[in-house]
Amino acid sequence: MTHALFSAIPLAIVASTPLLLAVLGELVVERAGMINLGIEGMMLTAAMTAVVTTQLTHSLALGFLGGIAGAALVGALYGLFALRLGADQIVTGTAIVLLAQGLTGFVYRELQQNAIFNQAIPRITFDAVVPLAWIVIPVVLAMLLWRTRFGLRLRACGELPAAVTANGASVAIHRWTALAIESVLTGIAGAYLSLALSSGFAENMVAGRGFIALSIVIFGRWKFKGALLGTAVFGIAAAAQYAMQASGRGLPFHLLLAVPYVITLLILCGIAGRVRAPESLGKT
Amino acid sequence: MSWWRRDLPPPTPHSPLPRIAIAIGAALLSLILLALTGLAFGHTPGELLSILFSGSVGSKFALEGTLLKSIPLLLTGLSVGIAFRAGVWNIGAEGQFLAGALGAFLGARYGMVAALAASLIAGALWASIASVMRLWRNAPEVLTTILLNFIAIHLLGYAVNGPLQEASGKYPQSDAVAAAAMLPSLGASELHAGIVIAIVAAIGAWFLLYRTAEGLRLRASGFNRSAARWAGINVDAQLVRAMAISGAMAGLAGGIELLGVTHRLFERFAAGYGYAGIAVALLAQLHPLGTLASAFFFGALTTGAGELQRTAGISSTVATFGQAIVILVMIALTRRKSA
Repeated sequence: MTHALFSAIPLAIVASTPLLLAVLGELVVERAGMINLGIEGMMLTAAMTAVVTTQLTHSLALGFLGGIAGAALVGALYGLFALRLGADQIVTGTAIVLLAQGLTGFVYRELQQNAIFNQAIPRITFDAVVPLAWIVIPVVLAMLLWRTRFGLRLRACGELPAAVTANGASVAIHRWTALAIESVLTGIAGAYLSLALSSGFAENMVAGRGFIALSIVIFGRWKFKGALLGTAVFGIAAAAQYAMQASGRGLPFHLLLAVPYVITLLILCGIAGRVRAPESLGKT
Repeated sequence: MSWWRRDLPPPTPHSPLPRIAIAIGAALLSLILLALTGLAFGHTPGELLSILFSGSVGSKFALEGTLLKSIPLLLTGLSVGIAFRAGVWNIGAEGQFLAGALGAFLGARYGMVAALAASLIAGALWASIASVMRLWRNAPEVLTTILLNFIAIHLLGYAVNGPLQEASGKYPQSDAVAAAAMLPSLGASELHAGIVIAIVAAIGAWFLLYRTAEGLRLRASGFNRSAARWAGINVDAQLVRAMAISGAMAGLAGGIELLGVTHRLFERFAAGYGYAGIAVALLAQLHPLGTLASAFFFGALTTGAGELQRTAGISSTVATFGQAIVILVMIALTRRKSA
């Protein structure tokens, strides 16, 4: 049992990297006062645009950029509705998830005969994403949010936007910037999912990671330390389950697939009662 | 206050005519946007729309297909509509649909009525998990209901690969339910008695929401939590009941789909009916009677999309895309804040 747990840790770190990136992005956005369910759709779109760009350019680096562009496009659509039009953020987010599922499914089948989705994608030789996601990005973002005037204002957008306005700063600019940060992170997350963790795009391949990310943000109490800890706990718990499966003592395969979601429910029930969200989160 | 405890945005215009105009406008605009998207992939809008039209309402056969698809959509649309009206963010109709189908399958050996009752109860119980988590641990139902969808999908996958797999053990699906439990078909058509149940449910939901004290309490809790509480309404109890009613409706949709159409369970049983319910409810502006028309529209879209896949090779996921566009267009048309 303990052996299974320890051998699962490296696997857990790599496998939950896209999840962590999504958690970090959502944390920034929620600190700025928005709740973005559409993150699931942003990752899915990024996973597809990353594969398409990689196959067209034969460059993994450009593939990651393509993923970021895809996520940014969907993020901009969310911003248009949630920020510009002042629409309900939960409804907007849900619609964006459906939009991304429908659109990627449509494009995938349109291009299915095309070489884009049939050719093997190049293998990643040097994986810079894992250390970036687990060390560099959290540190940089934490510095940005808690050590700069910009970060203070961004967090104020999540607590008391009127104070930001009274200070002569623009709530909209800070929130759009938060969305841009989230787009970059979920873009990398989606690209990593399809280019590094899988060997290409598959329909609905994000499989709820966006929603799990939202839950971990709550678990982590909207802090970067909590986000890292929450993702690690989640990743290790899920990976340990797989390790037990491999040793022949685990659950039947289909029940095993449900384990990550059950863990997330338990995480939510364990913590949500005792946290305080940013005051203006989700208000239009 | 956590972000998941908040009031529903005020309803769109109150009088029926502008509301109907908005809905029709949104539906038309969405079709145009859909056709324009097809254009980007080399399908002419005329071709796309004419197949969509003829494949959904163009013939008696197509119309029957559309009505058949409208039945589960109507019930999941009601499910979402009731929940949203009561200020409960139930995004879990997909999972409750599956729970209802599983319940109906288990109840089917005791006859049709027992199977339908089991689907109602199973849907309500599955949804109530989210209520318990919300009231006991303050876990946001937006997230718990979504997570429960994924769990339900994998539970069903386990069931049809394990304990409920057909006796021959050939495919990952269950045996067919007993003939006595199947819903009778109407005349010589493909249609089954489920359409009657669904329409009665829509009228019942309207009566509940707009003609009973319970309905007033549900709507008041959704409209303004604190005002409702000051008026002496136990808003937590309303949340539990709204979630249970909502789950029961989605469960019934699953039960009817099993007993009327598929007769057996298989892995991809839900096929997005639960998520589509959100689009159905929002196009109907959360009104149960509007849901009748809205469900028919999305039934036609789904059936037409199937025809697009068969004749033009366009993925039927355009139906999902269409649902998303309708929601976004409705948001844009009914928003309060001027841009």
